Amino acid sequence: MSKFIRAILYVGLALAALTFIYPFLWMASSTLKPPGEVGSLALIPDRATLDNYRIMWGRAPFGRALLNSVLVASTVTIAVLIFGSITAYAMARLTFPGKRALNAATMAVLLVPGQLTLIPLYTLIVQLGWIDTYAALIVPYLFNATAILMLRQFFLQIPQSLIDSARMDGMGELRILFTIFWPLARPALAIVAIFTFMGSWNEVLWPLLVVRDQHIMTLPQLLTVFALGGGAGTLGVSLAAAMVLVVPVVAAYMFLQRYFIESMAGAGVKG
Amino acid sequence: MPSVTFDHVTKRFGDVVIVEDFNLEVADGELLVLVGGSGSGKSTLLRMVAGLESVTSGTIRIDDRDITHLAPRERDVAMVFQDYALYPHLTVRDNLSLGLKLRKVPKPEIARRVAWAAGMLGLEALLDRKPKQLSGGQRQRVAMGRAMVREPLVFLFDEPLSNLDAGLRAQMRIEIGGLQRRLNTTTIYVTHDQVEAMTLGDRIVVLANGTIQQVGRPIELYRDPVNRFVAGFIGSPPMNFIEGRLDRNGGAAFVADGVRVELGGEREPVPVAAPVTLGIRPEDISLVAAGMATSPVSGTVVLVERLGGTSHVHLDVGPNRLMAAVSQEQLPAVGERIEVYVPSARVHLFDAGGKCRTARP
Repeated sequence: MSKFIRAILYVGLALAALTFIYPFLWMASSTLKPPGEVGSLALIPDRATLDNYRIMWGRAPFGRALLNSVLVASTVTIAVLIFGSITAYAMARLTFPGKRALNAATMAVLLVPGQLTLIPLYTLIVQLGWIDTYAALIVPYLFNATAILMLRQFFLQIPQSLIDSARMDGMGELRILFTIFWPLARPALAIVAIFTFMGSWNEVLWPLLVVRDQHIMTLPQLLTVFALGGGAGTLGVSLAAAMVLVVPVVAAYMFLQRYFIESMAGAGVKG
Repeated sequence: MPSVTFDHVTKRFGDVVIVEDFNLEVADGELLVLVGGSGSGKSTLLRMVAGLESVTSGTIRIDDRDITHLAPRERDVAMVFQDYALYPHLTVRDNLSLGLKLRKVPKPEIARRVAWAAGMLGLEALLDRKPKQLSGGQRQRVAMGRAMVREPLVFLFDEPLSNLDAGLRAQMRIEIGGLQRRLNTTTIYVTHDQVEAMTLGDRIVVLANGTIQQVGRPIELYRDPVNRFVAGFIGSPPMNFIEGRLDRNGGAAFVADGVRVELGGEREPVPVAAPVTLGIRPEDISLVAAGMATSPVSGTVVLVERLGGTSHVHLDVGPNRLMAAVSQEQLPAVGERIEVYVPSARVHLFDAGGKCRTARP
């Protein structure tokens, strides 16, 4: 390939990359612009200001909502990893009566759209008296069929001899799972973690149903209520709130992304 | 030093019988080799001793202790796996010591045993490496070290050399043999390789379809195989077989198309004219200068393989193909018609059921 063609290719790719990233950069920079400037397409504000954040923070309990979101999303993520891998281990590596049925049932759960279960689940939460509690936000998400099936698929690839060897070394099944499988399954666990975290973090519909108390609201919920309810007043303030929502997810992704590439399963057996 | 006893051990998966009524005692300090083709049940037997596979019926004992239904960790046996099964995320040192930590062995004792095993196996310089930084032979040594530090009552080896290349396999075979003799630990060794079985085993058990074909010292199995399966399995290159029948006209003789072998000595009677298979090892056949044959077996040379020390001469005798392993320098040419001597004392005769009729008691 000639240098010229290569140059054109890179210019094209750079333009494409820019198209994707520009809206985010624009959003980030607009949060720093005074009201008169927000409409402009420029990325560098003429007079940078933190007023939008100050106004946002003053009008609704965003700090509390941020903490709520962190609490809910991390609890859900940790639970999904622990319960999900325990279930996946049993489904992948143990023999017990009803194993096939359990596999099929887990698969079937994926076929049911989440919206279908909203109403029965809501009724259940009401009867439990969990409206306006963290339990309503967390408990329905503690188990996740997608996570179980993803981890099961990964666990199936780990050589049986490692399990045999660990059993002879004196390990029980839980110890095998957490000290042998977890280190080997880091890529799979990271993917499950980030999808679960993002899914929980971005959830709006369910919190809107079960939480009305502003102090229990998660960030996206409060943001929705705030922006749609006209509480924001200006576009800059809405964008500032959106920024607060996005930053933790990006941070989580950057923290976990190295595991996506890292794969070390099977390195200790024949190679 | 403990013995291992199999008492009427049977293993079934549903209707499929893997091991059928297996009875055997492995003596103290003995290295017993289980050998057989795939599906013979040899690995299943080993895994039943390890506790990784349940026993359908019968009992397995170590000394007088019934271990049939104990968990693997309660049996005090250690196993070396075909694919080594090292923990990929742990260093060699941690791989060696993990089993001891789990058994709550005191730290100084762990350090002593790891140093001892590493010294014996030449692993001192590799203790801080991860398994993927090791060669196949080094991984194999770590796997053995992991079994050694446990100081178990019984060692179990499950085809430990099959993932190594030929040269390394020969070297590791010698190391395993030497190690076992020094430690004098009762050992059960599973392999499909008859060379490993012959060189390592104090005794060999030949298995087929989950049943014992023959148990004995390597040389007994080589000299006196009880049936055609054992005869074909033990010995390299493998025994020649010729289908034919017995002829009693003018002294007992084996006859087949182009073959007549006079049989001297006492032979268990096989009904005359019943189908009989003659077995003769390649190294027992010798080439005869033309015209001097006392035993009229002649054939056409189809292939000559020179291995250096010995040579393999393949010849067509009637419809049968024979192979002679000879050490002479002067070899016939391909296409040449030659005569060979088949000594009657070295001949094995098998009846239609495969049972050897010439086995010495």
